[in-house]
Amino acid sequence: MSTAQATARRQQRVEELCAASIRALCGEADLHFRARRLHRGQRALPLFGPHLQPSFEDDDFGSFRGAADAIALRLTHSEGVLHRSLCPPDPVRRWVFESLEQFRVEALAPSDWPGLARNLRHRFEQWSCTFHRSALIDSASGLLLYTVAQVARARVTGQPVLEATEGLIEVTRGGIAATLGTALAGLRHEREDQAAYARHALAIAGHVAAMLRAVEDDAAFDGAIDDDTAAHDRGFSLLFDFDAVVDDDLPTATPGTSRVLEAAVGAYRVFTTAHDVEVKAATRVRAALLAEYREALDRRIVEQGLNVARLARQLRVLLAVPTRDGWDDDQETGCIDGRRLSQLVVSPAERRLFRTERQRPVANCVVGFLIDCSGSMKQHIAAVTVLVDVFVRALEEAGVASELLGFTTGAWNGGQAARDWRRAGRPPHPGRLNEVCHLVFKDADTSWRRARRDIAALMKADLFREGIDGEAVEWACARLAARDEARRLLIVVSDGCPMDTATGLANDAHYLDQHLREVLRRQEQTGEVEIYGVGVGLDLSAFYSRSRALDLAEPPGNKACFEIVEMIAGRGRR
Amino acid sequence: MADISLTQPDCVLSVREVFGIDTSLQVPAFTERDDHVPDVDPVYRFNPAVTMAILAGFMRDRRVMVQGLHGTGKSTHIEQVAARLNWPCVRINLDGHISRLDLVGKDAVVLRDGQQVTTFQEGIVPWALQRPVALIFDEYDAGRPDVMFVIQRILERDGKMTLMDQNRVLRPHPCFRLFATANTVGLGNLNGMYHGAQRLNHAQIDRWNIVASLNYLPADEEVAIVLARVPGKAGEAGRALVRSMVAVAELTRKGFAAGDLSTLMSPRTVITWAENCEIFRDPVVAFRLSFLNKCDEAERPIVAEYFQRCFDLELDESFERVAVDRPA
Repeated sequence: MSTAQATARRQQRVEELCAASIRALCGEADLHFRARRLHRGQRALPLFGPHLQPSFEDDDFGSFRGAADAIALRLTHSEGVLHRSLCPPDPVRRWVFESLEQFRVEALAPSDWPGLARNLRHRFEQWSCTFHRSALIDSASGLLLYTVAQVARARVTGQPVLEATEGLIEVTRGGIAATLGTALAGLRHEREDQAAYARHALAIAGHVAAMLRAVEDDAAFDGAIDDDTAAHDRGFSLLFDFDAVVDDDLPTATPGTSRVLEAAVGAYRVFTTAHDVEVKAATRVRAALLAEYREALDRRIVEQGLNVARLARQLRVLLAVPTRDGWDDDQETGCIDGRRLSQLVVSPAERRLFRTERQRPVANCVVGFLIDCSGSMKQHIAAVTVLVDVFVRALEEAGVASELLGFTTGAWNGGQAARDWRRAGRPPHPGRLNEVCHLVFKDADTSWRRARRDIAALMKADLFREGIDGEAVEWACARLAARDEARRLLIVVSDGCPMDTATGLANDAHYLDQHLREVLRRQEQTGEVEIYGVGVGLDLSAFYSRSRALDLAEPPGNKACFEIVEMIAGRGRR
Repeated sequence: MADISLTQPDCVLSVREVFGIDTSLQVPAFTERDDHVPDVDPVYRFNPAVTMAILAGFMRDRRVMVQGLHGTGKSTHIEQVAARLNWPCVRINLDGHISRLDLVGKDAVVLRDGQQVTTFQEGIVPWALQRPVALIFDEYDAGRPDVMFVIQRILERDGKMTLMDQNRVLRPHPCFRLFATANTVGLGNLNGMYHGAQRLNHAQIDRWNIVASLNYLPADEEVAIVLARVPGKAGEAGRALVRSMVAVAELTRKGFAAGDLSTLMSPRTVITWAENCEIFRDPVVAFRLSFLNKCDEAERPIVAEYFQRCFDLELDESFERVAVDRPA
């Protein structure tokens, strides 16, 4: 788990840096990675070339840089609408066409950016080596595509072909020279003009497709086109599907779309709310046990040396705004205080006649924490509790109100709600089918001191069952929206997608996922509450536009706290 | 303050010759240089649009405000135009502590014939109003909006100024000109970069006849400016280096616009960097000292990425280095 969490962290860091580079290179502010795919705003961008999806296991940081730079060049130099209108539909021709267009923009890299040029070359060489090592190269079709890619890129950019494979492609290169020669020569001439270049590119794509049909003898290769994931399992994929969702072994929350919910035009249903409860979590735990938990929690916080004062300072800087707050009298400089003039007459030596305006940082803000109390969180809950307890304390020191909420279900497998549904004769599309249980550990009006014990109830992992995130986020947002504070933040701590077996079975697998996404989109649009996702060893960017993956395998230290502060400060990904 | 002997512009200059802008415009100027005329900077490069706006201010008596990000040379721009026209020029830096009395004038105790007498001493605004002076309010948006109402009346072209302390109405000198520079357009500190910028009164903003925006220049222009300032980089290698520097600066500006950075490199920073390169003989060290150390620690890896793109060199803060150094 630890390595997986560390990988998730690394991945997020790399993506942040790459996205920042892309944003700066093409000057577009709303580009960011979500679920390993570059998005513009809410929309995913297509994959621009087969070599632009480095893998986190095999490729180095330089490859990611190269891919980022290549994407930035594509966004700057290629007219998307024109490209789409010319793009051939069938996978092979599209693969060639996309690749050629990508080579064109890479050839347009400005000459006074040596680092960028090196990154591009490095990425392409890495991709070539991976291709070379894969089984695909042994098939005639694979070799043909490889050769076309090598030769075309060398022609367009004027860089030599990869030396290591020069011998390998020699024969194929000679074979295609006659057919593709004219078009290849045209590529370099017309690289400044996308439309003219596309004519040559389409000609090449057509020839290559014809040649592939001629050598259609390769079961392995056909398999690769038909089933890209199978090829992916073998460690290398040509990525024929440029619009596919990237599926990787890395812990990324990958949401699907729900057919049932889509068919119902977004009307999320709840079968019954009769068994839903909202409880103070402390009432579910014996007092003696609570005291015990609290003691253990305090011991942990002391052991980990968490610096609450420093965190409070950081939060104050972040959330508080300097506000005029009356006057300081008795100053030696500033504005003259009229009331003190008589004093000047009486004792001319008196110099403290001035007053200055006092500015005080005031945080007109409330922060809510919403903890996913599903079964899988059990293993992380001790660390999460430490973290949120420290945060609640620091927020209070910074003068910020805070709420600590949780969500789970009352039972496994649907409980009474599912029983009612069965009794009603299992009507189709029942909607959410479980007893939702919303837990309040601390509300905004209770101080940390009073809520100390109640917070410890988080450690009682027996309460944890399943998770229905969408409704919980709605509930937490509604609670925060009812407050008077001007700024409201909600931090959702979760380790996965929404999970409820009964709902999943009765509707479809992604019913709750989609609802969560809809809720988040709605809330983002209204902007009443800023929502942040904290993924425990998981990249939640597919759901939350502002998210962080935290590595909680080791006890959370000041670093984890700082990362959450950074996330609120809005650095890196948005 | 020493008085000004000049009264009226006594010659005309061709804009094409003096400023290198392709127009047949003629602009009135003085032949004699007064003490208040700023020194001419021979290598200063004029931005055509902003220069035309400022010249309109001088020629047609328009109130011109120049707005732009820091380090773009807003105030210098006005000064250099005035210097070419030999037009006397007084520059005031506004801040939150400038009061009405500083601007209008106040009663002060002075010695006259050995006697202490109280007499009214004019502030800078009435003084300038009666002379052929271009008055520049620098950092106009730092002045307190309630105080700035003092100049409300004189913002109008024929606006006379009433000195209530003296029961006197001042008629502006026909060659009095008023300019202002500001980082914001009076909406306050929106991006968190200009602390202390006030929200201005829009009735007042409205009275400025021309608002010129001076933002960062195209890369070639900026390279030329840096090379003009730092002649040591004039060679082929130096020029390539300056191109890369300007490229880094552009990335930081776009990064700032995208919200990735909270600091950006102004043309002034690039010039400082080039100058520091002359001192330290190493662009990386000079970059660290001129810009990187001003950045927030959390943002330095992003700056390192920009730097790698333009120089093909790794900074110590680069993720590449950090990731390698860290034990697996």
